[in-house]
Amino acid sequence: MNCNEAGTLVACYADGEIVTLQGRSIERHLRGCAACTAKHQAVLELRARINAEVPYFTAPPALRERVRALLVNANDVAAARPRPQQDRWRWLTGGALAGCAATMLAWVVGTAVIDRHANEDVAVEAVTTHVRATLNNHLIEIASSDQHTVKPWLSARLDYSPPVQDLASEGFALIGGRLDTLDKQRVATLVYRYRLHTIDVFVRPEFAHAPSALRTLRGFNVAHATGSGMDWLAVSDVSADVITAFVQRLASEAASR
Amino acid sequence: MSQHTRFEDLVMPHLDAGYNLARWLTRDVNDAEDVVQDACVRAIKYVGSLRDGDARAWFLTIVRHAFYDWCKRNRPAEIVKGDGTAIEMAAADSAMDPERAAQRRGQSRLLADAVAELPLVFREVLILRELEELSYKEIARITDVPVGTVMSRLARARGLLQRSPFLHAIRGQVAGGER
Repeated sequence: MNCNEAGTLVACYADGEIVTLQGRSIERHLRGCAACTAKHQAVLELRARINAEVPYFTAPPALRERVRALLVNANDVAAARPRPQQDRWRWLTGGALAGCAATMLAWVVGTAVIDRHANEDVAVEAVTTHVRATLNNHLIEIASSDQHTVKPWLSARLDYSPPVQDLASEGFALIGGRLDTLDKQRVATLVYRYRLHTIDVFVRPEFAHAPSALRTLRGFNVAHATGSGMDWLAVSDVSADVITAFVQRLASEAASR
Repeated sequence: MSQHTRFEDLVMPHLDAGYNLARWLTRDVNDAEDVVQDACVRAIKYVGSLRDGDARAWFLTIVRHAFYDWCKRNRPAEIVKGDGTAIEMAAADSAMDPERAAQRRGQSRLLADAVAELPLVFREVLILRELEELSYKEIARITDVPVGTVMSRLARARGLLQRSPFLHAIRGQVAGGER
């Protein structure tokens, strides 16, 4: 394969669109060609910067409410259609019930089921806290991508000073922090964005019941790392290897300072 | 499954994706909400025809349609720009707009600005690829063009970002590879 043939395929390769034989011949070409390697690198660099710097906007709670309201209306209309005259009270209560059920379902399922296990161990508690913060739209109390803003804010509210690092260059953009209670103690929570995912990282001098290995709970991965007198507990729906690498990176970064 | 539960189960999880796309297409908080709301009205109506597997792509297609309808009514000039000839001009215009320049100094969001300045057809494929992480095939289906067009638009979008005057850091890194 020459540069001409590699041409547009380099971007396809960087986008993960080529995996089979063609991928291998591109890999071979990249190894021997500085120009195409730079092109490939450029796509990856741009992607890393997009992940770190281009915000993923999430729907405001008010919009979510309005959509739910649309849904309830649509449902009322649909329910009213078959028997417009008789049983009016029935569809009225039915519609109201469905409305209540819809808005409350997420809360009941989201919180009640989780609450049942809340005291099992710190990993379960960490997932619960992460889910609650997400559901309540209360991920962040201090919004900043600047570690020098987040760290003093947290230190002022805790009896220790948690290490705060922004790893945006590696795709993990710090978006802010908040305070939580975990393992019956106040804890600093750092919030990172990785692609479409939110990662909560709980930082404490020591967690009494930290999980020794990676845990997967209700689809969330919980990874733990320790070093230089601190404990990191990360919770997210990112893949197991990503979260493990990330939490270890945080610990080693803190140790190197 | 009722229409209501189908929407709740299949579409609601992708509300953020729909909003993010609308937000990047309209580049405005309120307009994005209008577009998403309009899209949801349509989605509720047609949710019966949705197959279970590809709810996100399905919903994003609807959001995109809702956006183009909204755009025709409110900003018809933008759609014409999509042919690619106005690109370099679009970048230059915005570079000189003092209000935007002032905003830009206020917040260090250079790359995000450069993305927002991309002409519509390039912006949408970039957002779908880099923020939604969709495949070429899915993007082709959503934007209703052949896969080859997705590839060339994506390449143009990346080229524009890499050469963007707002992106000195990236330009420095790329210069060696392109020349």
